[in-house]
Amino acid sequence: VGLLEVVLEPDLSCGEEAATAVRELQLILQALGTSQANMAEGQLRVDANISVHHPGEPLGVRTEVKNLNSIRFLAKAIDYEIQRQINELENGGEILNETRSFHYQLGCTMSMRDKEGKQDYRFMPEPNLPPLVLYDATSLPAGADPQQVINIDQIRETLPELPSVTRERLVQQYGMLLEHSFTLLNEVGLLEFFQNVIKETRAEPKKVTSWVLNTFLGYLKQQNLAVSESPVTPSALAELLDLLDSRTISSAAAKQVFEELWKREGKTPGQIVSEKQLELMEDRGALEQLCHSMMEAHPQVVMDLKKGNPRAINKLIGLVRKATQSRADPAMIKEILEKKLSS
Amino acid sequence: MLGRTLQEVSAALKQGQITPTELCQKCLSLIKKTKFLNAYITVSEEVALKQAEESEKRYKNGQSLGDLDGIPVAVKDNFSTSGIETTCASNMLKGYIPPYNATVVQKLLDQGALLMGKTNLDEFAMGSGSTDGIFGPVKNPWSYSKQYREKRKQNPHSKNEDSDWLITGGSSGGSAAAVSAFTCYAALGSDTGGSTRNPAAHCGLVGFKPSYGLVSRHGLIPLVNSMDVPGILTRCVDDAAIVLGALAGPDPKDSTTVHDPINKPFMLPSLADVSKLCIGIPKEYLIPELSSEVRSLWSKAADLFESEGAKVLEVSLPHTSYSIVCYHVLCTSEVASNMARFDGLQYGHRCDINVSTEAMYAATRREGFNDVVRGRILSGNFFLLKENYENYFVKAQKVRRLIANDFVNAFNSGVDVLLTPTTLSEAVPYLEFIKEDNRTRSAQDDIFTQAVNMAGLPAVSIPVALSNQGLPIGLQFIGRAFCDQQLLTVAKWFEKQVQFPVIQLQELMDDCSAVLENEKSASVSLKQ
Repeated sequence: VGLLEVVLEPDLSCGEEAATAVRELQLILQALGTSQANMAEGQLRVDANISVHHPGEPLGVRTEVKNLNSIRFLAKAIDYEIQRQINELENGGEILNETRSFHYQLGCTMSMRDKEGKQDYRFMPEPNLPPLVLYDATSLPAGADPQQVINIDQIRETLPELPSVTRERLVQQYGMLLEHSFTLLNEVGLLEFFQNVIKETRAEPKKVTSWVLNTFLGYLKQQNLAVSESPVTPSALAELLDLLDSRTISSAAAKQVFEELWKREGKTPGQIVSEKQLELMEDRGALEQLCHSMMEAHPQVVMDLKKGNPRAINKLIGLVRKATQSRADPAMIKEILEKKLSS
Repeated sequence: MLGRTLQEVSAALKQGQITPTELCQKCLSLIKKTKFLNAYITVSEEVALKQAEESEKRYKNGQSLGDLDGIPVAVKDNFSTSGIETTCASNMLKGYIPPYNATVVQKLLDQGALLMGKTNLDEFAMGSGSTDGIFGPVKNPWSYSKQYREKRKQNPHSKNEDSDWLITGGSSGGSAAAVSAFTCYAALGSDTGGSTRNPAAHCGLVGFKPSYGLVSRHGLIPLVNSMDVPGILTRCVDDAAIVLGALAGPDPKDSTTVHDPINKPFMLPSLADVSKLCIGIPKEYLIPELSSEVRSLWSKAADLFESEGAKVLEVSLPHTSYSIVCYHVLCTSEVASNMARFDGLQYGHRCDINVSTEAMYAATRREGFNDVVRGRILSGNFFLLKENYENYFVKAQKVRRLIANDFVNAFNSGVDVLLTPTTLSEAVPYLEFIKEDNRTRSAQDDIFTQAVNMAGLPAVSIPVALSNQGLPIGLQFIGRAFCDQQLLTVAKWFEKQVQFPVIQLQELMDDCSAVLENEKSASVSLKQ
């Protein structure tokens, strides 16, 4: 297996920036299929070189920090080391050009001074690898066998969609915010989940975005699950959103259904809605009737309302809703009540 | 039949004069008879007979695969052969059975050749005598030839014949002995500093080293990646060309093979005359250590070309005197790198110590490698140290470039082919050879051959005549890169002119039992 070494310029300024850069690199490598770039499994290793200096002055002495096996620790280690170096210099000390190891339990870097001298690897250039010459469309030699030369323009055409392009596309196509697109890409498997829901539902993309990023992701995070471990499939969520979209159920009911789905009892959203009788009440007439009787049953509340207490209407809405076992759309209840009150 | 050329036998097979199975059995029988030569480490009898059976079917159906179908061949034991032990004559790989065939082996098998066995060599191809492997030294069949024996009888001091047996040269001595003793028609060797050409010269054979990049090294257990090539040993030039035709060509598994070789070799034309040819004689190759007999033959050869109308020029390869040292630095550096893979973890020998990984590596490698290998690893490690890298390794690479340029300049001055000796003298007795250590011998014996490896050029050793002792002497032709066909064409013309005699081994067959007796008393124990 080949080893690929990527060196970034010394123009990153804090742990978060470095972490973001590494995360983006991971996404690119994954999109290309070059590597799974999983840091915990050592597929991607990151060493950080850190130095501090006053603005306008040249770069200070750098230390190298190793033993970083997650992006979170990378950020932590960098921020710690920056602070350590600043403290050291402000106290009149100096920074040694050394290698330090990050100790994640203690949250600090420590000198690896126990290593006896530097390792001499005794490398020599690998004779089995001939020189690698890269061409582009303009520099390609005439009559060159396309199988034998590397034309970067040709390779560029065959590249899969890279993360930054994907994010742009998501924003354009689904009208989501850029930060939403970042979240979708940053969580493993989430983009695919999202796209599968989009495929199967009639609901508006914005609705899908909201449900996936808020509700779905929220549940995952709460129980520390990966997308692949989700009890709710894209089809199930799509079905649920269809029910919502067709106004068969209210959004409150939808949340309830979602919670049921999460219990992994094998029921479809349709089944849950039936069982729990969560269908929205269609009959406006019946609802008006109910509002009327509720107003009659609670004259005090109506009095409060007429006096100008805005919160009273919520109480009324709540009472009506309860009477309908949450099957009525609160918006409709409000509308009917307000109509009645004004008449 | 066994004394015929590959071309002749191939024709005989096609015409049904002999079957592949008969041929195979003859060779197997001769291998048994000549076991005392120690040419073979593994004889793959069952495999060969099965291949012979399949070849026979093909001939019966008129569907022979070509000139190599049904032809017995042997392969040096540093080429990986699937299912057949591959040892490199080292404890490190004793019992190692590769799961794949080297590309060149596969190509031979695809052409229907019969694999008679794996031949003996110096451990990991390090050496110029085929004397330093764990299975013991290889004996030169010419030790038992009528030509040599008769000269020995004339010598009043001739002792017990077999204690004076001669080396084959190395490191592909087993392959050379196998072909020379008629147990096969062609054998694969390897050539890093002369390991195919040297034993060819000592055993009276054609030893061909192709241009670097013409033949795939995939499956050849590497010694020096930038200099190794598979080599071909045969009894005549046409045979070598047939084998080369089967082997040459790009291989995706070896990224140092070239994709558009300028001259894809096939049937060699017979040169009518050499009047358009220009032969170069490098003056730096005339050294005091060169035996007078070889020098004389070299001179006669040059005269021969001239008398037949060719232009013969003296040329200069000014950096020749640096080439041994340069070769030594680069070779040992690559060896230090290449031998690192032998750590006992996944294949090969592993020691019993399991106190720590480092202890395991150390003991495994101490037990697995002989002194020669370990010496080269240590040297290479020294040259690759940070403080030495510039002064030794990089410097040697620069000198290598100068040496390669010497050849380019010589060829650019109108020379088609260079003519040089192959070895300093004829084969010497084993007891004489072991008086100096491997490193000294290699440095001496590689002198005419290793610059060619550094420049990646094609070269071939052709047997010219017998010495006063009745032993073969060969001369070397060196060609332009990828002009292998032209080189072999010139060599073929020369071969026809000199008419080198066939080795007479009748006595060997008759005296077989007597020799075996002597062999027991003459055996020498090897240091480990």
